[in-house]
Amino acid sequence: MTEATVKATFDIYRFDPGHDRAPRYQRYTLDLPPHTPVLTALLKIRAEVDPSLALRYSCRSAICGSCAMQVNSKSRLACETQIGPELARDGRIVIEPMRNQAVLRDLVVEQEPFWRNYDRIRPHLILDPRHPMPEGRENPMTTEEVEQFKETPRCIACAACFSACPAVEADPAFPGPMALAKLYRFVVDPRDQGHQDRLMRIQPDGLWLCLRCHLCTEACPKDVRPSERIRDLKEMAVAVQGGTEHGSKHAVGFKDNIRDRGVLNEMKLVRQTSGLVGVLEQLPQGLHIVRKKREILRAPHRIEGMDEVEKIYEALDRPEEKP
Amino acid sequence: MLKHDVVVVGAGLAGQRAALAAVEAGCDVAVVSKLHPLRSHSGAAQGGINAAVGKEDSVDTHIYDTVKGSDYLGDQDSIELFCREAGPTVVEMEHFGTIFSRAPDGTLARRPFGGAGFPRTIYAADRTGLALLQALWEHLGTVHFQLYEEWALTQLVVRDGRVHGIVALDRRRGEFVQIGAKAVVLATGPFGRVYGRTTNAHSCTGDGVAAAYTAGAALKDMEFVQFHPTALMETAILITEGARGEGGILKNGQGERFMSRYAPHVLELASRDVVSRAIVTEVLEGRGFPGGYVHLELMHLGKEKIESRLQEICDFARSFAGIDPVTEPIPVYPAQHYMMGGIGTDAQGATNIRGLYSAGEAACVSIHGANRLGGNSLLETLVFGKFAGAAAAAYASSAAPPEIREAELDGVTAPWRAWSSRTDGEDPSTLRAEMQATMGRYAGIYRNEADLLEGLRRIRALKERYRNVRVVDQSKVYNVNLTDAFETGYMLDLAEVILVGAYARTESRGAHSRTDYPKRDDAKWMKHTIAVRGAEGPQLSYAPVAYTRWEPKERVY
Repeated sequence: MTEATVKATFDIYRFDPGHDRAPRYQRYTLDLPPHTPVLTALLKIRAEVDPSLALRYSCRSAICGSCAMQVNSKSRLACETQIGPELARDGRIVIEPMRNQAVLRDLVVEQEPFWRNYDRIRPHLILDPRHPMPEGRENPMTTEEVEQFKETPRCIACAACFSACPAVEADPAFPGPMALAKLYRFVVDPRDQGHQDRLMRIQPDGLWLCLRCHLCTEACPKDVRPSERIRDLKEMAVAVQGGTEHGSKHAVGFKDNIRDRGVLNEMKLVRQTSGLVGVLEQLPQGLHIVRKKREILRAPHRIEGMDEVEKIYEALDRPEEKP
Repeated sequence: MLKHDVVVVGAGLAGQRAALAAVEAGCDVAVVSKLHPLRSHSGAAQGGINAAVGKEDSVDTHIYDTVKGSDYLGDQDSIELFCREAGPTVVEMEHFGTIFSRAPDGTLARRPFGGAGFPRTIYAADRTGLALLQALWEHLGTVHFQLYEEWALTQLVVRDGRVHGIVALDRRRGEFVQIGAKAVVLATGPFGRVYGRTTNAHSCTGDGVAAAYTAGAALKDMEFVQFHPTALMETAILITEGARGEGGILKNGQGERFMSRYAPHVLELASRDVVSRAIVTEVLEGRGFPGGYVHLELMHLGKEKIESRLQEICDFARSFAGIDPVTEPIPVYPAQHYMMGGIGTDAQGATNIRGLYSAGEAACVSIHGANRLGGNSLLETLVFGKFAGAAAAAYASSAAPPEIREAELDGVTAPWRAWSSRTDGEDPSTLRAEMQATMGRYAGIYRNEADLLEGLRRIRALKERYRNVRVVDQSKVYNVNLTDAFETGYMLDLAEVILVGAYARTESRGAHSRTDYPKRDDAKWMKHTIAVRGAEGPQLSYAPVAYTRWEPKERVY
């Protein structure tokens, strides 16, 4: 079968700390069929043009998680990203290492922080001697219980979500989407006896640092939807502990605050989240905001159409009808 | 100087299970892996793991199916042990946290698989390997051991018939390091990349098998190479046997369900060697689709079943072949999938070298004989991984400390370092591509004397050229060019052993099909091939097959 090929231009990030003072981009141009996976193209470059290009790869079928990298600025698996659509959209293919992880060389990044966050959530069943495993047979599990895992068992730990996450970039204390999706997987496991403890611990340990931007869900090649599971964890955490953490108080305060007048009363929200001491701590920043935005001092009027807002809240309070 | 009681090389399911067993026996254990353990090829296994736990099923039937599937080359004592361990092994993995698919009554769901008398393949959708790998790795996180992540094995240190440790390349720093060990467990998986058209990962290059062979270990039954019937036409990406287990059917270019001619009783659920030969025969006789393939049809199963039980392969077909299995047939053709052969071991994983053990696809016990049944390989990794780890620990507890001579490291690594200082010579990827083309053409599903001899001539010529292999990349850090050179050398050695064994075996048994000797010849060939490295290449001898209860019969499916 002979197939039409396209001229594909690759601009590939190169950096060898032993030789290069700064990263550079090297251009390679190949004729390839448009459905060629990026990984196949990179291996062709290695075999035929430049054997010194360093990258991680193994299964080439989106199951080992080795070849995550940035393809035209998106964190993707190189093995399942075809060159055709990339060329059609951007005219060339820029290949860079994943973000939020130090570059060891070329496209190979240091993944120790990623794995450390994974270890930190205690990714194993926590057992209670009072509830021993059934002797010689499996734990029964209903179909509904299996469905609670959602898509989290599909995670291949490729770190594309970790690369795409702005919260990881802003704050190393944030465990990252993969670790939290993994935490969710253990929290909903009926065999696990550590649910409450897990939910209590994760709150001061970074759960509320998620920005809800959903870039992790967009980046995930296996449709694990980490941001949705983080949302579930937050709800479960509030249910277990009530709004006693900064993050949960902020979320609960936000909800009550809007219920009042249909629009945010920011002065009140700071009080709800941080208490009076917190207000004093944030005073310098607050004064700065007041100088720029004087109207923040006035309590907002109730908005028109409050009946619609009330309907939303009624729906929210009926858990079985939650969207 | 790094030293441990037990060093496990390879961190897929077999290696991890071996490490766990050795830790539980009280040993100081290190795991050496060229990939992060979660990137191991065990995670690519799709269909499931066999255990005769259903009320209507029995361990004896599992044993019989495995013996018959092996075309009577499997050792029946080991197969009995293997099948008896199946139930407890699966339960243990469930207790470790594996998320299996469930039947409506909450028990482990089971699906039919090729060559099996009952539905006994327990699964986690179509990502069973991934589910087991995650659970075992996460469980292993609760015990203490040393992980050498992204270290590649380059040599076994063997002196006076006893293992003393290994030499490995730390891929991040580009340094060769010796690790002393009282016992070593090789669980480095297969060498499917000897072939170009393979379902195996790029990293399946037989590092441990070749290092063992170089060090004097006996390899067993290397000519038995399994070709999986259904790999995607263009990319050879695996489409699980579970697709047929769930009711998928095969059709040729004339719309015929051709398996009725080859396996009238069980059709698509015959064993893999039978189905693969059927597909190749259809194509050779002109009944394939233009381009040379057949169709795997799932459409009649309905969207819901396909998307829930065959979720990953649905994604694979969509993203790698642009095919939606819900509405279209999938173009498939066989591809190399599994190596029945490997490092010869007993049922405890012991080799002919003291202190050297092996388990998983790197090893050959043999339970798969001439053809492995689907669902038996995941089970093999866990059952024999545990045994090998425990046996290595027991040996280590009474063995003298290893003797590692630090001064020798320079001499050992000199030839490897020479690859990088050459100014001429060939890139390993050139040699690898020619080897793969040679093996596909001359040692594929159907073999004959002339082809095998020609294949051998070509592989030996490549081995000659390999003496002048050149590593262009001068960097210390993550030098893929350098690991490529090691892997290519390993695979050339193993390709030669496959060819020599296949040439010598003048019969057809299981996956080894000689068109010039189309019948199984029990009088002459009911024996294991043993290959040991000699000055002129592999030297063959033969070993008897162990029998217990099952007399050889003609295999009909």
